Amino acid sequence: MDQSSIQGTIFDIQRFSTHDGEGIRTNVFLKGCPLACVWCQNPEGIDPKIEPIWLPDKCIYCKACSDYAPAAISWDGDNLVINYAYQGDWSKIIEKCPTTALRFNAGKMTVLQLITELKKDEVFYKFGGGVTFSGGEPLIQIDFLELALIASKQRGWNTAIETALNVSWSSIERVLPYVDTLFADFKIFDNHEHMKHTFVSNNLIKENIGHLLTSEFKDKVIIRTPLIPIYTATKENISMIAKYISKIYPEVKYELLNYNPLAISKYPFTNLTYCFSDMNPTAYTNEEMLYFQNLALESGIRNLVKI
Amino acid sequence: MDDLIMTQRISKLKEKIHSNVRYASIEQAKIITDTYRANEDKPKIVQRALALKASLNRIEISIDPDELIVGNRTAGIRYGVVFPEGGTTWVDEEFEKLPTRAQDPFEVNQEDIIYFRENIKPYWETKSLEDVIQERYSNEINEISTVVKINQKDHAQGHICPDSKTWLAKGPQGLLEEAESYLENCPEEKKDFYKSVIITMEGAITFIERYADLANKLSNDSTIANTEERKISLIKIAENCQHISRKSPETFHEAVQLLWFLFVILQMESNASSFSPGRIDKFLYPYYKKDIDNGTITKQDALEIVESLWIKFNQIVYMRNSHSAKFFAGFPIGFNIALGGLDEKGNDFLNDISYLCLKAQEHLGMPQPNLSVRLHEKTSDEFIETAIKVVARGSGMPQFFNDKSVIPALREQGIEYVDALDYAIVGCVELTTQGNNLGWSDAAMFNLNKLLELTLTGGVDLLTSKKEKYIYSDQGDLATFSNFAELESAFAKNMDRYIGLMIKACEYVESAHIEILPTAFLSSVINPCLSEGIDVTAGGAKYNLSGIQMIQVANLADSLAAIKLLVFDEKKVSGAEFLEALKSNFQGYEPLRQMILNRVPKYGNDNDYVDNLGTRWAEYFKNRLSLYKNYRGGNYHTGMYTVSAHVPMGEVVGASPDGRFAKEPLADGGMSPMYGRDLEGPTAVLKSVSKLDKNLTSNGGLLNMKFLPKFFENEESIKRFVSFLRAFVELEIPHIQFNVVNRQDLIEAQKDPDRYRSLTIRVAGYTAYFTELATALQDEIIARTSYGEF
Ligand code: SF4
Repeated sequence: MDQSSIQGTIFDIQRFSTHDGEGIRTNVFLKGCPLACVWCQNPEGIDPKIEPIWLPDKCIYCKACSDYAPAAISWDGDNLVINYAYQGDWSKIIEKCPTTALRFNAGKMTVLQLITELKKDEVFYKFGGGVTFSGGEPLIQIDFLELALIASKQRGWNTAIETALNVSWSSIERVLPYVDTLFADFKIFDNHEHMKHTFVSNNLIKENIGHLLTSEFKDKVIIRTPLIPIYTATKENISMIAKYISKIYPEVKYELLNYNPLAISKYPFTNLTYCFSDMNPTAYTNEEMLYFQNLALESGIRNLVKI
Repeated sequence: MDDLIMTQRISKLKEKIHSNVRYASIEQAKIITDTYRANEDKPKIVQRALALKASLNRIEISIDPDELIVGNRTAGIRYGVVFPEGGTTWVDEEFEKLPTRAQDPFEVNQEDIIYFRENIKPYWETKSLEDVIQERYSNEINEISTVVKINQKDHAQGHICPDSKTWLAKGPQGLLEEAESYLENCPEEKKDFYKSVIITMEGAITFIERYADLANKLSNDSTIANTEERKISLIKIAENCQHISRKSPETFHEAVQLLWFLFVILQMESNASSFSPGRIDKFLYPYYKKDIDNGTITKQDALEIVESLWIKFNQIVYMRNSHSAKFFAGFPIGFNIALGGLDEKGNDFLNDISYLCLKAQEHLGMPQPNLSVRLHEKTSDEFIETAIKVVARGSGMPQFFNDKSVIPALREQGIEYVDALDYAIVGCVELTTQGNNLGWSDAAMFNLNKLLELTLTGGVDLLTSKKEKYIYSDQGDLATFSNFAELESAFAKNMDRYIGLMIKACEYVESAHIEILPTAFLSSVINPCLSEGIDVTAGGAKYNLSGIQMIQVANLADSLAAIKLLVFDEKKVSGAEFLEALKSNFQGYEPLRQMILNRVPKYGNDNDYVDNLGTRWAEYFKNRLSLYKNYRGGNYHTGMYTVSAHVPMGEVVGASPDGRFAKEPLADGGMSPMYGRDLEGPTAVLKSVSKLDKNLTSNGGLLNMKFLPKFFENEESIKRFVSFLRAFVELEIPHIQFNVVNRQDLIEAQKDPDRYRSLTIRVAGYTAYFTELATALQDEIIARTSYGEF
């Protein structure tokens, strides 16, 4: 295939992203994920399709959209209804919206286009920053991702990816040489629970963790568990995960991510329901974080990553 | 440095500043008027010198028993001084309203008002700077005032960094002797100048001696010197003042005391904003080092002295007329101090004093001094981190300057390399060399957005419907321009004309200063005025620049981009319709306004389409300006900072093509994007700003950013901020500063000002107490984009 024509589906590019890796980074969010965690922080990144969406807060109800394409857009009171079956040119309709309340939830980009965008903050990468590919699951767009990583490395940028590892080992192998840090999520140890809340088995994930932590790239890996009250933030779960990974590689780097209550704010723009839609817990306090960190340490972790 | 503390003494002094009531004082006005009356026959420069001397001899002085550094120009703290040589008409008109005005109010005494009206005002009616300018040039200045604000019309020029090093080395006695020796051999026409310098130095000596006497007296008064500590420090003050009144300082404490007297006396001579100390870590260091080496002081002692000076910087405010107070809201007196930076060999310069100053700022967090840090590629991580931790505490200081941008920009203005390396800052962000420059950095503010409005309407003011006299009427308007080039050429022609008219007005003002406000004392600390026998107002300084501020490139760029894209490139709307929308303040045109806001690139998002338009017009303005020389033979150059003028200068601009409603504030800062429109984050802002050539801001540029406190919570974030500032240096942006504050706190402070009396906020290139700002300005600050939300 002609490499310059390979496109990625990207739902956001965030400059000055200050998580996930060192320094000031640009974070590229690739759309589509094989998991569907009930607490997902980027629910708009689960479905790989590009679709029109409507943001009621931005809408001024000028009806420019529905006047132009009544077959595609209709109204149910103050609610705009998108007719997803509409086969015409959506971009023409979206162009009519003055506020961008009506928009696509993602876009397509070639590697060259992406690199041009990432280059904008190149001066910041020089002082300890870089680029991070996240998602969704970046590895399911492996052809695009591999090329984007190679191009980034050619420019001398520090690179990181965030993955949930539910992909074939061969995909992971392809990117490892071009990645400085690989953040791998290991959310729930018990497979039954894992299936229940993420809708996939964790067999492949465990297998990949095994490969990773015994490979020559094992020191690039940081295993992470997002602390979700009830679901992942339990004594058993953290201890089991910590034991499991430190057994494979005693020097493994492990990080516990605090619960982010803001994730809920994205759900109104999707047709998914958040796991805590009724009562959203708050983030863990420093003491609570310390408790979980101690659990990990007691279970064999030597290199706990803390920010 | 981590173990250094803020002493009881300092916290007491800080508390007293907050609890003090601010009065408008006519004490010095009385002395000046009496002196002028008694010396009618003398030349102006001598009259002024005598008036200063009389003030120094007679003004009531006070010492707080907790002080270590003494001196003020009024007995009370933060008094506003009525200064008749600058102007009395505005005082006459506004005296009764001073206590109730929205911005910078002062209490008044009824008897003062009566005395002022009967005895002071009548004398100055034809003599003060304000009155003279008003009588001779008001037409010329008013006719262009919708577009151009001419400054320095009712007060002396400040914004000067004196030669503190020489002042400390020679003291008033040394300078007096020097003037005497010049006087012996100078030509006749220079005699008055030297005589005047001598008169002012005599006054300075007496003034300092008076403090020695008072301290002595108080130290023997057991009701005041009621603790051992107080008695000791009062005796120390007496000894220090006695020594430095005639001799150069021997100790750090004496040096700081003498330095402070310099600034008090400069204020008493000129009553102007922004006499700035500059690089105190450079010129105070030898005194500090000697004491530390001798073991006569500890770091903690030195810090207490520095913090005492910090307190002093907060005790002088500058009372402006109510119009001007809107433009310079919240008392930006501008004691600017520059820390770090390159030394004369181009190496990194830092010492204990640099760190002590940061410590003082961390402890006190008050609006003054205006603390600046000079950054460059070789600045140590440690120093940047220390500075960031101070910023994170929220006073908005230190602000950061970039040697990599500033030094070459100053060189471009003809400044020698050694002088450029040693640059400092005056006032907010105005760049200067030290001790040899009359930068006249606030000569005028040019409202680019008003000029664009008048160009688009063919000369009709959108707010008043008046026809503007000097807008070319034969160039058509937005409804008739057939392409963007036509619009641009109409804009250029109008700009050329207004620049020409502005230059004339600036010349009038400068000529009035030479005639009415010669300043002998100041001239003695600006090189080479003393050796040449030329007053600084008359061009005696080595460098004689004039700075014009472009207000605001951000809105101009956004406006031009909107018209270019929607009317001419994509033809989404006709010029006529767009013009109608502006005339109706977008009433009935919300979809168009939304299209402007959402579909047109905005400055601050790293988008060349719009950024290049801003750069192009800023360059045009600067190049046009560079065709002129000022009254003292120096260059006109440009700055991009507003102080707080973006609010009043927005009030006079109708709906603008960037989607801004009529009368709303313009973008803040000077190089900052319009608030709420920078959606790509802080790196994109830096990138947009970096496209503005450094030579556009040789008079100073200002970039404001607001971060949430939680961004600075951990070491990792501090490191990240270091890299942010390293990129800032690399991008050759002249200036950046940070407000670190929660939006909610500001809203609370608006509701409950008493509880938030000490909350300080970065307005423009200066910090003010948030609750002392008028509501419109508070609202604008709240509306600025915050970063660090996750
Ligand atoms: S065009 Fe946009 S703003 Fe107007 S009604 Fe449709 S979605 Fe809302």
